[in-house]
Amino acid sequence: MMTCRKARKLVPLAAGGDLRPRPAAAFRAHIDACPECRRELEAFRKALGTIREEAKAAGVAAWGEDEWSALVSRVRAGAAGERSRGADRAGTAFRRCWAAASALGVLAASAILYMMFMAGPVPGRKTAPAGPGTVAGRAEPQEVLTMTMVSPETGLQIVWFFDRNFDYKGEQE
Amino acid sequence: MRMNETEKELVEMVLAGRAEAFEPLVTPYRGPLLALASRLTRDREEALEVVQETLLRAYRSLGRYDAARPFRNWLFQIAANESRDRRRRKMRERAAFTEVAGRAPAAADPEAGQDRRELREGIRRSMAALSPREREVFVLRDLEDLDIRETSRALGCSSLSVRVHLSAARRKLRQAIRRDFPHLEVG
Repeated sequence: MMTCRKARKLVPLAAGGDLRPRPAAAFRAHIDACPECRRELEAFRKALGTIREEAKAAGVAAWGEDEWSALVSRVRAGAAGERSRGADRAGTAFRRCWAAASALGVLAASAILYMMFMAGPVPGRKTAPAGPGTVAGRAEPQEVLTMTMVSPETGLQIVWFFDRNFDYKGEQE
Repeated sequence: MRMNETEKELVEMVLAGRAEAFEPLVTPYRGPLLALASRLTRDREEALEVVQETLLRAYRSLGRYDAARPFRNWLFQIAANESRDRRRRKMRERAAFTEVAGRAPAAADPEAGQDRRELREGIRRSMAALSPREREVFVLRDLEDLDIRETSRALGCSSLSVRVHLSAARRKLRQAIRRDFPHLEVG
């Protein structure tokens, strides 16, 4: 059996119907048997009802004219701002990707050009024979350049050798 | 009370990128939200800021909203969190914070009689004297009619904690009313 002392402690919750089922059953049993605690519960219930009613009715802030619309506009603008910042971030990332790809492309092209024009002679490569009466030369930058002269009348063939600075280094018939 | 079909459709529209659906979704709750924020902050301007931040947060996290739960309670949870965050920020900012009970001016209440105005002012003062958690619990449970489970969910605490603070809040308010308005206890 619940004591009056214990029951009085539960009155504030019991007045609002907020006791858990088991204590509520014990409390009800006590109230049924104890007129003093029942009166206390009724008085508390009444007071709580008044407090709730008056606190709810007390002038809480109301929305002013156009205040709500302005606030929702600010919220939507704030949300749109976040979205556009998100889009900006996505755009920036996209541009960065393109910049990186472009830089890589330029780097690769430079490397290919370097290999084509600045690297040494490819071992085993031979210069194709030039046509008659023409000057055949290797445009590729290399340590030794050759230039071949073929006479259309005599069929004589002369090969001149130059260094990479195009300084004459000798000839061979 | 679960989310109704209209709200569900509006939520889906907002999530699909139709921002204009957000206003009709939250408009039914503008009054309750401002009332809750006003009761928790006891300052109208701050309450407006709380509502604005609440709506912004709701907009951002709408994708995480659990449709099995009443939309109103979800908004209340965000508003209660925002009010609490602001109070904590303010308390940090003011090292020697001294709350003056009754700081907020009483709202005009012309239709109420003198006795009733005094009673409401007394209740307001008594509510201001509650601890922040007691006030939150009392406002959500007794004034906004959330049940214990939803109140605990909104405040991120156990139902035992809600019951303890609710009991303390009701007891303090009743004592204040009994002290200042003994005639109400008669009969």
